[in-house]
Amino acid sequence: MTSRTRHLLPVIAFLAATSLFAPLGTRAQSSTSTSSTNSHGDRWLHVRVISTDAKGETVRVNVPLELAERVLPAIDHDRLHNGKVRIGCMDCDGVDVRTLFEAVRSSKDGEFVTVQSNDADISVTKKDGLMLVHVHDKNKPKHSQVEVKVPMKVVEALLSGSKDELDIVAGLHALAGQGDVELVSVKDDDNTIRVWLDSKNVTTD
Amino acid sequence: MVLLGKIALGFGATVVMAGAYTFHEGLLRVDVDETHGRGSHVHVWVPAAIVPMAIRFIPRDRMRDAGERAANFMPLVHTVAKELQKYPEAELVEVHDGPQYVHIRTHNGNLLIDADEPGQTVHVSCPLATIDDVSRELAEFAPGS
Repeated sequence: MTSRTRHLLPVIAFLAATSLFAPLGTRAQSSTSTSSTNSHGDRWLHVRVISTDAKGETVRVNVPLELAERVLPAIDHDRLHNGKVRIGCMDCDGVDVRTLFEAVRSSKDGEFVTVQSNDADISVTKKDGLMLVHVHDKNKPKHSQVEVKVPMKVVEALLSGSKDELDIVAGLHALAGQGDVELVSVKDDDNTIRVWLDSKNVTTD
Repeated sequence: MVLLGKIALGFGATVVMAGAYTFHEGLLRVDVDETHGRGSHVHVWVPAAIVPMAIRFIPRDRMRDAGERAANFMPLVHTVAKELQKYPEAELVEVHDGPQYVHIRTHNGNLLIDADEPGQTVHVSCPLATIDDVSRELAEFAPGS
Protein backbone atom coordinates (compact mmCIF):
# COMPACT_ATOMS: atom_id res chain seq x y z
CA MET A 1 0.00 0.00 0.00
CA THR A 2 1.52 3.34 -1.04
CA SER A 3 1.61 6.36 1.26
CA ARG A 4 -0.89 8.10 -1.05
CA THR A 5 -3.47 5.31 -0.69
CA ARG A 6 -2.91 5.24 3.09
CA HIS A 7 -3.82 8.95 3.20
CA LEU A 8 -6.99 8.17 1.33
CA LEU A 9 -8.17 5.45 3.73
CA PRO A 10 -10.11 7.72 6.14
CA VAL A 11 -11.68 9.50 3.18
CA ILE A 12 -12.75 6.18 1.68
CA ALA A 13 -14.17 5.09 5.06
CA PHE A 14 -16.11 8.34 5.33
CA LEU A 15 -17.43 8.03 1.76
CA ALA A 16 -18.46 4.43 2.47
CA ALA A 17 -20.37 5.58 5.53
CA THR A 18 -22.13 8.39 3.72
CA SER A 19 -22.94 6.13 0.78
CA LEU A 20 -25.05 4.07 3.19
CA PHE A 21 -27.44 6.97 3.35
CA ALA A 22 -27.82 7.05 -0.42
CA PRO A 23 -29.86 3.83 -0.59
CA LEU A 24 -32.00 5.20 2.25
CA GLY A 25 -32.85 8.25 0.19
CA THR A 26 -33.51 6.18 -2.89
CA ARG A 27 -35.70 3.83 -0.84
CA ALA A 28 -37.63 6.72 0.62
CA GLN A 29 -38.21 8.18 -2.83
CA SER A 30 -39.29 4.91 -4.35
CA SER A 31 -41.62 4.28 -1.42
CA THR A 32 -43.19 7.69 -1.86
CA SER A 33 -43.69 7.15 -5.55
CA THR A 34 -45.25 3.73 -4.87
CA SER A 35 -47.57 5.32 -2.34
CA SER A 36 -48.60 7.98 -4.79
CA THR A 37 -49.24 5.43 -7.53
CA ASN A 38 -51.23 3.21 -5.17
CA SER A 39 -53.32 6.05 -3.87
CA HIS A 40 -54.41 6.86 -7.43
CA GLY A 41 -55.24 3.29 -8.44
CA ASP A 42 -56.81 1.95 -5.27
CA ARG A 43 -60.42 1.99 -4.27
CA TRP A 44 -61.19 2.87 -0.68
CA LEU A 45 -64.23 1.98 1.36
CA HIS A 46 -65.05 4.68 3.89
CA VAL A 47 -67.27 4.51 6.92
CA ARG A 48 -68.16 7.62 8.87
CA VAL A 49 -70.34 7.78 11.94
CA ILE A 50 -71.01 11.10 13.59
CA SER A 51 -73.10 11.16 16.72
CA THR A 52 -74.66 14.37 17.90
CA ASP A 53 -75.25 13.19 21.45
CA ALA A 54 -73.49 14.71 24.44
CA LYS A 55 -70.37 12.59 24.02
CA GLY A 56 -70.06 13.56 20.37
CA GLU A 57 -68.82 10.18 19.18
CA THR A 58 -67.11 10.15 15.82
CA VAL A 59 -65.88 7.10 13.93
CA ARG A 60 -63.92 7.26 10.70
CA VAL A 61 -62.74 4.08 9.00
CA ASN A 62 -60.92 3.97 5.68
CA VAL A 63 -60.17 0.55 4.19
CA PRO A 64 -58.49 -0.16 0.86
CA LEU A 65 -60.71 -2.68 -0.95
CA GLU A 66 -57.69 -4.63 -2.13
CA LEU A 67 -56.53 -5.00 1.47
CA ALA A 68 -59.97 -6.25 2.50
CA GLU A 69 -59.96 -8.69 -0.42
CA ARG A 70 -56.62 -10.14 0.66
CA VAL A 71 -57.27 -10.14 4.39
CA LEU A 72 -60.80 -11.61 4.47
CA PRO A 73 -59.73 -15.07 3.22
CA ALA A 74 -57.27 -15.20 6.14
CA ILE A 75 -60.12 -14.90 8.65
CA ASP A 76 -61.66 -18.16 9.76
CA HIS A 77 -64.27 -17.33 12.35
CA ASP A 78 -67.87 -18.28 12.98
CA ARG A 79 -69.73 -18.04 9.62
CA LEU A 80 -66.84 -16.42 7.76
CA HIS A 81 -64.54 -18.88 6.01
CA ASN A 82 -62.25 -18.26 3.06
CA GLY A 83 -63.88 -14.91 2.34
CA LYS A 84 -67.38 -16.39 2.22
CA VAL A 85 -70.23 -16.12 4.68
CA ARG A 86 -72.51 -19.07 5.24
CA ILE A 87 -76.13 -17.94 5.12
CA GLY A 88 -77.80 -21.32 4.86
CA CYS A 89 -79.03 -21.21 8.41
CA MET A 90 -78.96 -17.45 8.84
CA ASP A 91 -81.96 -16.25 10.80
CA CYS A 92 -83.41 -13.24 9.00
CA ASP A 93 -86.90 -13.41 10.41
CA GLY A 94 -87.78 -16.15 7.96
CA VAL A 95 -86.47 -14.25 4.92
CA ASP A 96 -84.38 -16.31 2.49
CA VAL A 97 -81.65 -13.77 1.75
CA ARG A 98 -80.24 -15.58 -1.25
CA THR A 99 -83.62 -16.11 -2.90
CA LEU A 100 -84.41 -12.46 -2.30
CA PHE A 101 -81.19 -11.37 -4.00
CA GLU A 102 -81.77 -13.80 -6.87
CA ALA A 103 -85.27 -12.42 -7.38
CA VAL A 104 -84.07 -8.83 -7.52
CA ARG A 105 -81.16 -9.72 -9.79
CA SER A 106 -83.30 -11.45 -12.39
CA SER A 107 -86.05 -8.81 -12.41
CA LYS A 108 -86.37 -5.79 -14.67
CA ASP A 109 -85.98 -2.25 -13.38
CA GLY A 110 -88.82 -1.09 -11.20
CA GLU A 111 -90.08 -0.60 -7.69
CA PHE A 112 -90.54 -3.98 -6.04
CA VAL A 113 -91.56 -3.12 -2.54
CA THR A 114 -93.53 -0.12 -1.38
CA VAL A 115 -94.75 0.13 2.16
CA GLN A 116 -96.45 3.27 3.38
CA SER A 117 -97.68 3.38 6.94
CA ASN A 118 -97.95 5.81 9.81
CA ASP A 119 -94.66 4.49 11.18
CA ALA A 120 -92.52 4.25 8.10
CA ASP A 121 -92.26 4.41 4.33
CA ILE A 122 -90.17 1.67 2.78
CA SER A 123 -89.27 1.12 -0.84
CA VAL A 124 -86.99 -1.31 -2.67
CA THR A 125 -86.18 -0.32 -6.23
CA LYS A 126 -83.95 -1.57 -9.02
CA LYS A 127 -82.76 1.15 -11.35
CA ASP A 128 -79.80 1.68 -13.70
CA GLY A 129 -77.93 -1.35 -12.40
CA LEU A 130 -78.43 -0.38 -8.77
CA MET A 131 -80.59 -1.84 -6.05
CA LEU A 132 -81.96 1.01 -3.96
CA VAL A 133 -83.51 0.63 -0.53
CA HIS A 134 -85.15 3.62 1.09
CA VAL A 135 -86.54 3.66 4.62
CA HIS A 136 -88.19 6.71 6.14
CA ASP A 137 -88.91 6.16 9.83
CA LYS A 138 -91.61 8.56 10.97
CA ASN A 139 -91.56 7.64 14.63
CA LYS A 140 -88.56 9.75 15.52
CA PRO A 141 -88.93 13.51 16.02
CA LYS A 142 -86.63 14.32 13.12
CA HIS A 143 -87.71 11.39 10.93
CA SER A 144 -84.77 9.11 10.25
CA GLN A 145 -83.80 8.40 6.67
CA VAL A 146 -81.97 5.29 5.51
CA GLU A 147 -80.70 4.99 1.94
CA VAL A 148 -78.88 1.88 0.72
CA LYS A 149 -77.47 1.66 -2.79
CA VAL A 150 -75.94 -1.63 -3.99
CA PRO A 151 -74.67 -2.09 -7.56
CA MET A 152 -76.30 -5.18 -9.09
CA LYS A 153 -72.87 -6.44 -10.21
CA VAL A 154 -71.96 -6.60 -6.55
CA VAL A 155 -75.14 -8.55 -5.82
CA GLU A 156 -74.29 -10.97 -8.64
CA ALA A 157 -70.75 -11.38 -7.28
CA LEU A 158 -72.08 -12.02 -3.79
CA LEU A 159 -74.25 -14.80 -5.20
CA SER A 160 -71.45 -16.35 -7.27
CA GLY A 161 -70.54 -18.85 -4.52
CA SER A 162 -72.40 -22.00 -3.60
CA LYS A 163 -76.05 -21.92 -2.65
CA ASP A 164 -75.77 -21.41 1.07
CA GLU A 165 -73.10 -18.73 1.10
CA LEU A 166 -72.34 -15.17 0.05
CA ASP A 167 -68.95 -14.60 -1.57
CA ILE A 168 -67.85 -11.42 0.21
CA VAL A 169 -64.44 -11.30 -1.50
CA ALA A 170 -66.05 -11.52 -4.94
CA GLY A 171 -68.47 -8.79 -3.84
CA LEU A 172 -65.60 -6.54 -2.81
CA HIS A 173 -63.82 -7.26 -6.08
CA ALA A 174 -66.94 -6.24 -8.01
CA LEU A 175 -67.30 -3.17 -5.82
CA ALA A 176 -63.74 -2.12 -6.70
CA GLY A 177 -64.80 -1.92 -10.34
CA GLN A 178 -67.54 0.59 -9.57
CA GLY A 179 -67.20 4.35 -9.73
CA ASP A 180 -67.47 6.61 -6.71
CA VAL A 181 -70.71 5.69 -5.01
CA GLU A 182 -72.44 6.29 -1.70
CA LEU A 183 -73.55 2.87 -0.51
CA VAL A 184 -75.26 3.63 2.77
CA SER A 185 -76.60 6.84 4.24
CA VAL A 186 -78.43 7.02 7.55
CA LYS A 187 -79.63 10.24 9.09
CA ASP A 188 -81.60 10.39 12.30
CA ASP A 189 -81.85 12.40 15.52
CA ASP A 190 -78.62 11.12 17.00
CA ASN A 191 -76.44 9.82 14.21
CA THR A 192 -75.27 10.43 10.71
CA ILE A 193 -73.81 7.33 9.10
CA ARG A 194 -72.22 7.18 5.67
CA VAL A 195 -70.56 4.30 3.84
CA TRP A 196 -69.09 5.20 0.50
CA LEU A 197 -66.51 4.24 -2.08
CA ASP A 198 -63.93 6.46 -3.75
CA SER A 199 -60.24 6.68 -4.64
CA LYS A 200 -59.13 8.86 -1.73
CA ASN A 201 -57.25 7.39 1.19
CA VAL A 202 -58.58 9.93 3.67
CA THR A 203 -62.00 11.07 4.76
CA THR A 204 -62.36 14.56 3.40
CA ASP A 205 -65.68 15.50 4.92
CA MET B 1 -1.59 13.92 15.43
CA VAL B 2 -2.51 13.08 11.84
CA LEU B 3 -2.64 9.39 12.79
CA LEU B 4 -4.98 10.16 15.68
CA GLY B 5 -7.19 12.15 13.33
CA LYS B 6 -7.33 9.24 10.91
CA ILE B 7 -8.22 6.83 13.73
CA ALA B 8 -10.93 9.19 14.97
CA LEU B 9 -12.33 9.59 11.46
CA GLY B 10 -12.25 5.81 10.88
CA PHE B 11 -13.96 5.22 14.25
CA GLY B 12 -16.53 7.90 13.50
CA ALA B 13 -17.24 6.40 10.10
CA THR B 14 -17.70 2.98 11.70
CA VAL B 15 -20.12 4.41 14.26
CA VAL B 16 -22.05 6.18 11.50
CA MET B 17 -22.19 2.99 9.44
CA ALA B 18 -23.33 0.91 12.41
CA GLY B 19 -25.90 3.56 13.35
CA ALA B 20 -27.19 3.82 9.81
CA TYR B 21 -27.55 0.05 9.57
CA THR B 22 -29.21 -0.25 12.97
CA PHE B 23 -31.78 2.45 12.34
CA HIS B 24 -32.33 2.03 8.60
CA GLU B 25 -35.50 0.01 9.25
CA GLY B 26 -36.81 2.52 11.76
CA LEU B 27 -37.75 2.24 15.40
CA LEU B 28 -40.14 0.03 17.29
CA ARG B 29 -41.54 2.42 19.84
CA VAL B 30 -43.98 1.85 22.68
CA ASP B 31 -44.90 4.68 25.04
CA VAL B 32 -47.39 4.11 27.85
CA ASP B 33 -48.06 6.94 30.29
CA GLU B 34 -50.47 6.58 33.17
CA THR B 35 -51.37 9.71 35.02
CA HIS B 36 -53.75 8.16 37.52
CA GLY B 37 -52.72 6.23 40.63
CA ARG B 38 -48.98 5.81 40.91
CA GLY B 39 -48.66 6.85 37.30
CA SER B 40 -46.38 4.33 35.68
CA HIS B 41 -44.54 5.28 32.52
CA VAL B 42 -43.19 2.78 30.04
CA HIS B 43 -41.07 3.92 27.15
CA VAL B 44 -39.47 1.29 24.91
CA TRP B 45 -37.51 2.35 21.86
CA VAL B 46 -35.88 -0.49 19.95
CA PRO B 47 -34.23 -0.33 16.53
CA ALA B 48 -36.49 -2.44 14.31
CA ALA B 49 -33.51 -4.03 12.56
CA ILE B 50 -32.47 -5.91 15.70
CA VAL B 51 -35.91 -7.40 16.42
CA PRO B 52 -35.67 -10.28 13.88
CA MET B 53 -32.09 -10.89 15.06
CA ALA B 54 -33.14 -10.86 18.72
CA ILE B 55 -35.85 -13.45 17.99
CA ARG B 56 -33.12 -15.89 16.95
CA PHE B 57 -31.74 -15.79 20.50
CA ILE B 58 -35.06 -16.73 22.10
CA PRO B 59 -35.05 -20.40 23.21
CA ARG B 60 -36.86 -22.62 20.72
CA ASP B 61 -39.28 -24.03 23.32
CA ARG B 62 -40.40 -20.50 24.16
CA MET B 63 -40.85 -19.74 20.48
CA ARG B 64 -42.84 -22.97 20.02
CA ASP B 65 -45.05 -21.94 22.94
CA ALA B 66 -45.56 -18.47 21.46
CA GLY B 67 -46.16 -19.99 18.02
CA GLU B 68 -48.88 -22.29 19.42
CA ARG B 69 -50.60 -19.42 21.22
CA ALA B 70 -50.46 -17.17 18.18
CA ALA B 71 -51.32 -19.89 15.66
CA ASN B 72 -54.93 -18.78 15.26
CA PHE B 73 -54.35 -15.14 14.48
CA MET B 74 -50.73 -14.91 13.29
CA PRO B 75 -51.55 -15.71 9.64
CA LEU B 76 -54.04 -12.83 9.77
CA VAL B 77 -51.47 -10.49 11.33
CA HIS B 78 -48.94 -11.56 8.71
CA THR B 79 -51.39 -10.93 5.85
CA VAL B 80 -52.45 -7.54 7.24
CA ALA B 81 -48.84 -6.42 7.79
CA LYS B 82 -47.81 -7.61 4.34
CA GLU B 83 -50.73 -5.88 2.62
CA LEU B 84 -50.49 -2.68 4.65
CA GLN B 85 -46.94 -2.21 3.39
CA LYS B 86 -48.57 -1.24 0.08
CA TYR B 87 -50.16 1.70 1.88
CA PRO B 88 -47.30 3.52 3.63
CA GLU B 89 -49.41 6.65 4.19
CA ALA B 90 -52.99 5.91 5.17
CA GLU B 91 -55.54 6.96 7.74
CA LEU B 92 -57.25 3.73 8.73
CA VAL B 93 -59.31 4.22 11.87
CA GLU B 94 -60.12 7.27 13.95
CA VAL B 95 -62.55 7.12 16.85
CA HIS B 96 -63.48 9.98 19.18
CA ASP B 97 -65.75 9.00 22.02
CA GLY B 98 -65.92 11.79 24.55
CA PRO B 99 -62.54 11.93 26.21
CA GLN B 100 -61.44 8.68 24.57
CA TYR B 101 -59.56 8.73 21.31
CA VAL B 102 -58.11 5.98 19.11
CA HIS B 103 -56.19 6.62 15.94
CA ILE B 104 -54.68 3.91 13.73
CA ARG B 105 -52.73 4.91 10.66
CA THR B 106 -49.66 4.16 8.61
CA HIS B 107 -46.92 6.72 8.14
CA ASN B 108 -43.58 6.20 6.38
CA GLY B 109 -44.22 2.45 6.36
CA ASN B 110 -44.85 2.37 10.11
CA LEU B 111 -48.06 1.31 11.80
CA LEU B 112 -48.97 3.98 14.33
CA ILE B 113 -51.52 3.41 17.06
CA ASP B 114 -52.45 6.25 19.40
CA ALA B 115 -54.94 5.69 22.19
CA ASP B 116 -55.86 8.32 24.75
CA GLU B 117 -58.26 8.05 27.62
CA PRO B 118 -58.45 9.92 30.89
CA GLY B 119 -55.47 8.79 32.94
CA GLN B 120 -53.74 6.81 30.24
CA THR B 121 -52.01 7.47 26.95
CA VAL B 122 -50.61 4.77 24.68
CA HIS B 123 -48.57 5.39 21.56
CA VAL B 124 -47.21 2.51 19.50
CA SER B 125 -45.12 2.84 16.38
CA CYS B 126 -43.79 -0.21 14.58
CA PRO B 127 -42.42 -0.68 11.06
CA LEU B 128 -44.81 -2.87 9.09
CA ALA B 129 -41.84 -4.81 7.74
CA THR B 130 -40.92 -5.76 11.30
CA ILE B 131 -44.45 -6.99 12.06
CA ASP B 132 -44.27 -8.98 8.84
CA ASP B 133 -40.89 -10.50 9.83
CA VAL B 134 -41.94 -11.35 13.38
CA SER B 135 -45.28 -12.85 12.34
CA ARG B 136 -43.48 -14.96 9.72
CA GLU B 137 -40.98 -16.17 12.33
CA LEU B 138 -43.76 -17.03 14.79
CA ALA B 139 -45.77 -18.78 12.08
CA GLU B 140 -42.82 -21.12 11.52
CA PHE B 141 -43.21 -22.33 15.10
CA ALA B 142 -46.97 -22.82 14.84
CA PRO B 143 -48.18 -26.43 15.05
CA GLY B 144 -48.36 -28.12 11.67
CA SER B 145 -46.02 -25.69 9.91
